[in-house]
Amino acid sequence: MLKEKIDGLLDRVQKPARYMGGEMNAVLKDPDSVAIRYAFAFPDVYEVGMSHLGSRILYDIINKREDALCERVFTPWVDMADLMRQENVPLFSLETRSPIRGFDMLGITLQYEMSYTNILELLDLAGIPLHSEDRTWDDPIVIAGGPCAFNPEPLHHFIDAFSIGDGEISTLETIDVVKACKAEGVSRQECLRRLSRLRGVYVPSLYEASYNEDGTLKSFEPTEEGVPRTVVKNMVADLDKAEYPESVIVPFMEIVHDRINIEVLRGCTRGCRFCQAGMIYRPVRERSVEHILDLAKKLIDETGYEEITLSSLSTGDYTCLPQLAHELMERFAEKRVALSLPSLRLDSNLKQTLEETQKVRKSSLTYAMEAGTQRLRDVINKGITEENLTSSVGDAFASGWSSVKLYFMFGLPTETLEDLDGIADLASKVVRKYFETPKSVRAKGLRVNCSASCFVPKPFTPFQWEPQDTIEQFEEKQKHLCHIMHIKGVEFNWHEPQVSFLEAVFARGDRRTADALEAAWRLGCRFDGWTDQFRFDKWMEAFAQTGVKPEFYANRRREKDELLPWAFIDAGVTQQYLWREYERAVQAQTTPDCRKGCQGCGLKRFEGACEGR
Amino acid sequence: MLLQFQKGDIVRHLGLLDLQRTMQRALRRSNLPVAYSKGFNPHMVMSFASALSSGIAGDAELLDVSLSGETTEEECLAAMNRVLPPALQASRVRLVDDRFPKVSAALRTVRYRITLHGGEARRIAEDVPAFLAQEEIMAVRKTKKSETLVNIRPMIHELTAEVDEQADTAVLEARVSFVEQATLKPDLLMEALCAHAQAELPRCEIRRTQLLGEVDGQPVPLIDL
Repeated sequence: MLKEKIDGLLDRVQKPARYMGGEMNAVLKDPDSVAIRYAFAFPDVYEVGMSHLGSRILYDIINKREDALCERVFTPWVDMADLMRQENVPLFSLETRSPIRGFDMLGITLQYEMSYTNILELLDLAGIPLHSEDRTWDDPIVIAGGPCAFNPEPLHHFIDAFSIGDGEISTLETIDVVKACKAEGVSRQECLRRLSRLRGVYVPSLYEASYNEDGTLKSFEPTEEGVPRTVVKNMVADLDKAEYPESVIVPFMEIVHDRINIEVLRGCTRGCRFCQAGMIYRPVRERSVEHILDLAKKLIDETGYEEITLSSLSTGDYTCLPQLAHELMERFAEKRVALSLPSLRLDSNLKQTLEETQKVRKSSLTYAMEAGTQRLRDVINKGITEENLTSSVGDAFASGWSSVKLYFMFGLPTETLEDLDGIADLASKVVRKYFETPKSVRAKGLRVNCSASCFVPKPFTPFQWEPQDTIEQFEEKQKHLCHIMHIKGVEFNWHEPQVSFLEAVFARGDRRTADALEAAWRLGCRFDGWTDQFRFDKWMEAFAQTGVKPEFYANRRREKDELLPWAFIDAGVTQQYLWREYERAVQAQTTPDCRKGCQGCGLKRFEGACEGR
Repeated sequence: MLLQFQKGDIVRHLGLLDLQRTMQRALRRSNLPVAYSKGFNPHMVMSFASALSSGIAGDAELLDVSLSGETTEEECLAAMNRVLPPALQASRVRLVDDRFPKVSAALRTVRYRITLHGGEARRIAEDVPAFLAQEEIMAVRKTKKSETLVNIRPMIHELTAEVDEQADTAVLEARVSFVEQATLKPDLLMEALCAHAQAELPRCEIRRTQLLGEVDGQPVPLIDL
């Protein structure tokens, strides 16, 4: 009956393929043959969620278990969500179109703050009570993980347990615990208690926060014995031993990253001070060339895809990249497989590798400069120079590329107008480099796409104590940028500061921000990351309703000794290291890549981390 | 290679481009000796006998693929079914000469099975004989550019109806023209029939069940031509 109703809805929505399921390599298991039915949710639309590598890994890991199955769910787009409410259709899984509420576990991945209202939307559409304390065994255990779980507090009320760190480990361990609890018939509360004892698992209902008069956090303590005071992140020490999918779902509709995606390394040791991923995914771990080649072959055979991307935070840092690229091109040229290399840094020695990959397809090159002057790049420890950029684009133009993307941030700590002018200066130099390249070798149609986003200070970075620029400051700087970025051949894009402001609130929010989040969702906010859906007025109304002051979270400077809402998490990097880095930052002192010498970030405390260094 | 496959209910919303991409990927995975076009950006030489609209399921759709090497019908069928998702499984393969005219050119009529739901299904079904008894059935055919009044009676070759009293449904079986100047879409047929029966358009599921050519004035499955 439900299946027919769903089928009827699909006639009436845009992009029905989002809800269709039935793709190549989707895993269909008999629900009666397993002990745990796990629904995995990405809180955005299908084509975004299906592009996420981590979800693919966990889908594979769960489905490899004999005693469990994993089915997918995404946030229905607004047209579908409204129809579902109107027709009383509960949120359903793609594989078997079963109600999500009937699953044993619901895993939600937290990739960006602006997806938080979509989590409430998912829970509500599923008929699962929004608040953890209102749930019973008729509801799944709701677990969330991903980078945003490193400050879980804004979601504390809605999530039963958070998984912190590499998901491969606690996904399996939490399944074991829930399975045992269900078999033994223990209470849901007892199940949560047992989950809290797993490494890397945080059960917010077992902790209590109190606040000072000035609004800062006073204390944060477990409410019962046996619940750890510090939650230590999980870490996979050896990527070659970690499970990696050898077959992935091939969607019918085009998705954002529609290709084979192989993670070649995890973590980054460059130490860019604005970058949360570079801190929380430490240490650097590489997958071996043999393993990657083996995965590539299997995945090409299993999917029929015509493109492979080698992904990581910084693929240019992969030790054997030239050898790997060469081998991949040689082995799969006959199958017309193209190779794309995202996240390359300019200072990697890439010329030959680029020449290899362009044999098959030419895409645009992206350079993340992040800041306009050397001084500011030193502040944020982005160890690239103008010379790196100009020589690299020079090489690229000479090899036939004509399309270049430049990424910058503004609103960075210590920033002045001079730093903004540096952005225009760099863009002009790229244009000049193109025209200096002889006409006989350069490709036609220069395109320099330059984008500047508003800086958002994140937890577990050296800038976690820093205020974000106010919306007014951002707007003023934006005006200036638009004025100076009128350069022939350059297209300039910027991001709305309102979205970045909210991102900053929830990135460093405490438990009290959960009320504002819920109020915003009740006022109709969802898909806040989508410009056409974003309603800043509703958000401000939600803050006013709940008495939450967003500026307190976004625009306030924190003192060194302030108890931060996320301080109970051991993310590997220590608070002492982060503060040391902060002090170096404001003096524009750089810190070298730790592969060239240990900087004492704290990861060496973890077993198996930084081996051989 | 002519590949006869189903477009199952759960994937009936697939559009032509998505289906095309899916078939290309399946062909790549199948390791069959698929022929590529010459030129700077080689692509597989393949086409559907007839594009099936999004929202309509199909029992026996036809994909025409050029091969460049030796293989057998059994091998092709097994290879494709290994790589196609359950909702797009193939039922038959026929290897034909490349000189064969494009299969789509031989298409004359198609069969639809239209399942009507709801209270008026029965009344519509019972109106079929009277509907067919008309010498002329005028209906408005809409295209992107224009609306034209056409007589659709000659395009209806067969139309029967059966009522399932218990399920509150009726099933229409229709064979209609499918050639360039005279293609009768199932929704236009339904519109005209409901207008005649003075009934609201009910909820209906449409499946295309056969693609047919013609030999000596008789319908013959396209794949057998």
